[in-house]
Amino acid sequence: MANGTSTTSIPHHSGHQSEDEKPQRSFFGLVQRPQQGCHPIVDWLTTVDHKKIGIMYGGFALLFLLVGGVEALMIRAQLFLPENDFVSARLYNQLFTMHGTTMIFLAVMPLNAAFFNYMMILQIGARDVAFPRLNAFSLWTFVAGAVLINLSWFWEAFHGGWFGYAPLSGKDYNPGMGADFWILSLQILGVASLAASFNFITTILNMRAPGMKMMRLPVFTWMTLITSFLIILAFPAITIALLELMFDRHFGTHFFDATFGGRPILWQHLFWIFGHPEVYILILPAMGIVSEVLPTFSRKPLFGYPLIVMSGAFIGFLGFAVWSHHMFTVGLGVVATTAFALMTMLIAIPTGVKIFNWIGTLWGGKIRFTTPMLYSLGFIWMFMMGGFTGIMHSSVPVDHQQQDSYFVVAHFHYVLIGGALFALFSGIYYWMPKMSGKLMHETWGKVSFWIMFFGFNLAFFPMHLLGMTGMPRRTHSYLGDMGWNEWNAWSTVGALILGVGIGSAVVQIVYTWARGEKCGKDPWDARTLEWATENPPKDYNFARIPEINARDQVWADKYGKPEEKSGPGESEPHGIHMPDRSWYPLSASFGLFMVGLGFVFHKQNFLGWDHNLEMAFIGGGILLLSVYLWALEGPRGYHIHPEED
Amino acid sequence: MRRFRILTLVATLLGLLLFSGCIEVTQNQSALDPKGPVAKQQADAFYVTLYLTTFLWIVVGGALLWAVWRYRLKKTDDPDELPEQSHGHPLIEVGLILFSAACLVVVAVPTIEGILMTKSLPEEYAEGAITVDVTGYQWWWAFDYPEEDVTTANELVIPVGKAVKLNLRSADVIHSFWLPKLAGKVDLVPGQENFMWIQADEPGMYWGQCAEFCGDSHAYMLFRCRAVPEEEYRQWLADLKAGPEVPVDAAEMPAEYPEQVVQGKDVFMKNCYSCHMVGGKGGVNGPNLTNFAERSTIASGWLDNNEENLFRWIKEPHKIKPGNYMWYGVPMKTPGGGMIVMDGLDKAELSDEDIHAVVAYLQTLK
Repeated sequence: MANGTSTTSIPHHSGHQSEDEKPQRSFFGLVQRPQQGCHPIVDWLTTVDHKKIGIMYGGFALLFLLVGGVEALMIRAQLFLPENDFVSARLYNQLFTMHGTTMIFLAVMPLNAAFFNYMMILQIGARDVAFPRLNAFSLWTFVAGAVLINLSWFWEAFHGGWFGYAPLSGKDYNPGMGADFWILSLQILGVASLAASFNFITTILNMRAPGMKMMRLPVFTWMTLITSFLIILAFPAITIALLELMFDRHFGTHFFDATFGGRPILWQHLFWIFGHPEVYILILPAMGIVSEVLPTFSRKPLFGYPLIVMSGAFIGFLGFAVWSHHMFTVGLGVVATTAFALMTMLIAIPTGVKIFNWIGTLWGGKIRFTTPMLYSLGFIWMFMMGGFTGIMHSSVPVDHQQQDSYFVVAHFHYVLIGGALFALFSGIYYWMPKMSGKLMHETWGKVSFWIMFFGFNLAFFPMHLLGMTGMPRRTHSYLGDMGWNEWNAWSTVGALILGVGIGSAVVQIVYTWARGEKCGKDPWDARTLEWATENPPKDYNFARIPEINARDQVWADKYGKPEEKSGPGESEPHGIHMPDRSWYPLSASFGLFMVGLGFVFHKQNFLGWDHNLEMAFIGGGILLLSVYLWALEGPRGYHIHPEED
Repeated sequence: MRRFRILTLVATLLGLLLFSGCIEVTQNQSALDPKGPVAKQQADAFYVTLYLTTFLWIVVGGALLWAVWRYRLKKTDDPDELPEQSHGHPLIEVGLILFSAACLVVVAVPTIEGILMTKSLPEEYAEGAITVDVTGYQWWWAFDYPEEDVTTANELVIPVGKAVKLNLRSADVIHSFWLPKLAGKVDLVPGQENFMWIQADEPGMYWGQCAEFCGDSHAYMLFRCRAVPEEEYRQWLADLKAGPEVPVDAAEMPAEYPEQVVQGKDVFMKNCYSCHMVGGKGGVNGPNLTNFAERSTIASGWLDNNEENLFRWIKEPHKIKPGNYMWYGVPMKTPGGGMIVMDGLDKAELSDEDIHAVVAYLQTLK
C-alpha cells in the first residue's frame, strides 16, 4: 500500500475532534472497532493505553505469584518431615518445575513489565509506547503462554526441572505431553517478551521529552532499557534450544541424544546463555526500583548516578560471559573453568558498586521509614547476602560442593525473593498512589513487611546449612537420620509465614485499589518525572510535554535553581491525538495460543477430538489474518483538548 | 547510651556464637566434615569465602545499618530542611571498586588451586592409585574396577589413604556423583567421560547421593562408599573375584543348602538373571549382585539390607522407588532410534513364597 492512501485518519486541518469520522469496523465489518465510552470489559480487552496494559500485567503477575506460591507451599509441606508422602515423587517433580517456571516467567518478569509499561513512559515524559497495539499484543501473548502452561496441570505438567536438561527432557525419558506444554508455552512467552522489549527500546530511544538526555533518564528507565536489550539478546538462545528439543522429541533429530552423536552439554550451553542473562533480566529492574525509592525517602539524589547506570550496563554485558558457572561440574576443561570463574568474580564488582552507592545515597540524608523504604532497605540487606553466597559459588572448589545442593536454593531465593520480589513490593507500595490515586495503608504495610522479612529468613537461611551438610536440591524425600529434619521443619514454618506475609500484602493491594484513601499529586515528595502528572494520570499523561532541564526534574521544580526548572512545553494546537482501541492484538495472541495448543496436542486426543494439527492451522490462520488486518486498520483515533492547569 | 550500644553489640555477637555452636556439621553427608584431601581443599576454600564475606558483611552491613540509624529523620529535625544534595564522590567510588577487586583476589587463589587439584590427579597422590569406572543409571550406580576386572553396585569399596581415580559415565540421563566428605560433585553425562578423584584418609562408611535431577526417583539414588584398610580391601577384591560358592547357573546345589535357597536360585534364574549378574554371569541392565549379602543397603542406599526390606523391595519395587525399571521393565534403545522395553517384575507374577525364596538365596551371596 502506498503511503498516501493510508487508512489512518488524523485530521491535521481541523482543530476539532474527529467525531465526524464514521466508526471503523473490524474483522471485515463483523464488529465495531471500540470507541470511547465502550463497555468497560471491551475497553480493557482492546485497550492500547500503556497504563491499563501495565495494570493488567501487574494483576496477572500477582495472580501467578499466588499460584507459584501455592506450589512452593506444597513443596515445603512435603519436605516438612523425612520420608513424607504428602505428594508423590512425580507430583513433587512437577511442582518444583512449575514453581520455577511460574515464578520466573509468569510472576517476576510480568511484574517488571507492569512497571516498565506504567512508569517508564511517564518517567521519560511520553504519552505512550512507540507501538501501542504491539504493546497490547505483548500483554495478551504473555497471557496466552501463561494460560497454556498452566493448562498442562489438566493433562500432564512438565517434570523435568525449570531448566529442562536434555536428555531427561527428551522423548525417551519424558514421553508425556508435559515437556511439549513447557516448550511451546516458553516459546509463546518468548514472543511476548521480545515484542515488548523492542517496543520499550524504541520508546526510550525515540520518545523522550525534549531535554531528557540519556544521562538525565531516571535509573529505573535506564534499567528498563538494559533489561530490554538483555531480553532481545538472550531469548534467541532459548528459542533455538527449545526448537531443537522439539525436533529431537518429534522429528527424529538428535541434537542432544548422545547415542546418535548429539551432545547433552549443548543444551546446557544454549540454556544458560539465555539463563544467566535471565537472572539479570529479573534483578536489574529491581535495582532500578530501589534506585528510585532510596533517593526519594533519603531526600537526596542518587549517589554516583553515572556509576550506577554504567555498572548496570556492565552487569548486563558481563552477564553474557559467565553462563558456564552454572556448569562447573559438567566436566569443562581447566582453561574454560578458570576463565568462567574469574569472569564470575568480576561481576561481583559492579554489583558491589551498586550496594556501596545505595549506602552512599542514604549517607547524609534524612531517612523516612515509609513502607516502600522498608522494602528497599530489606532488599539491600538480603540481596547483599545473596551476593555473598554468589561470590562463594564463583569459587570452583566451593561450587563443587554447593552446586545442585540446597545452598544454591538458598542463594537464588535470597536474590530473587529477598532481592527481586522485595524490590517489586517496594515498587508497588511506592507507585500505588501513582497507579490508583490511593495510598496503601502504612501500618498494615509495615506489618506485612516484617512478616515477610521474618518468614523469608526463617524459610531460606536454614537451607544454607542443609546444603553444606549434603542435602541435594530437587529431592522429594530424604532419610530421617541425615541431620536435616529440624532445619527442614523450620524452613517449612518460615515458608508458611512468608506466604501469610505475601498474601496479606496482596490483600492490601486489592483493598487499596477498591477503597483506599485518596492522596494528592505528590504524596512522597518525590524526584522523578512520573510524579509531575495527576494521580492516576489522565489518558494522555501530560497536557503539555514538559521541557526537561534537570535529572530529578520534579525535585528541581520544587527545590532547584531557576535554570533547572522544567520549561512549560508546547501545547498541541489541534489537541492531543489518542489512538483507537483495537481487537487485533487480542485476536492475534489468541491465534498464537491456538497454534501452541494445537502443536501440544499433535496426534493426541483433545477433549474427545482425535486431533492432528487442525487447531494449529486454524490458530495460525487467525494469527496471520489478525496481523494483516491490524496492519491495514491504522491507529485512527480522536483528539483531546485537555484543560490546561 | 554508648555503653548500651556496646552491650547490645556484645550480646548479639555472643548470641550468634551460641547459635553457631548449635549448628552441627558432622552429619552423614556434610561437606564441612571433610575426610580426604579433595574435600579438605574444598572446605578450606569455602572457609576463605566465608571469612571474607563475613568480614564484608560486617563492614558493608554495618555501614548500611549505621547510615540508616544515623541519618534517620529524627523528631527534633526540621522536616522542611533539606539535606545536602550531593551527587557522589569519584575518589570514594573508585576506591571502593579497587577494594572489591582486591577482595576477589583472595577468593581467586584457592579457586585456581582447587581447579588444578581436581581436574587431574596431582603427582604426590599418584602412588598406588586405583581406578574405578562409575556408571550412573536411573536410579542406581555401577562401580567397575577395570584393573581388577570386578564389578559391584551402589557400595563403593576403596582402600584408605590411596587415591581413587573415578571415570564417570552415564547410561541414560545426566547424574552427578556427590560424596561430600571425600569430594564435591562431578556430573555423569551421557556421551562423555568425566574425571574426578577421591581419597579417604580415615576408614569408615561415607554417604553419597546423586545431585543432578534425573527423573522420578532422583531422591532415592543414594550410594555408600566404604573405606577400608589395604588388606581388607584386597580380601574384599578376592572374595568378589571368587564369586559365590555355587555358580548361579549351576544345575544342582550342594545338599547342605536349605530347600528354600535352592528354590530361590531357581526363581532367580527365571526372573532376575537376565538383568542381574552374579559372579560374572547374568545380565547387565541391573546392579551386579555378586557380593549382595555383604552390602549394607539395598535399593541404591535407601533401605537397610535386611530380609524384611528385601521382601518389600522385590514384591513392590515401584512403591518404594516410583518409575523403577525392575518393576516396569528396562527400556532399551534400538539402533533405529526407537525404544523397546524388556519385561519387568510386573509381568512376572511372583508369589510371596517365590519372593521369600529369592530373599533367602540372595542372603547367601557373600
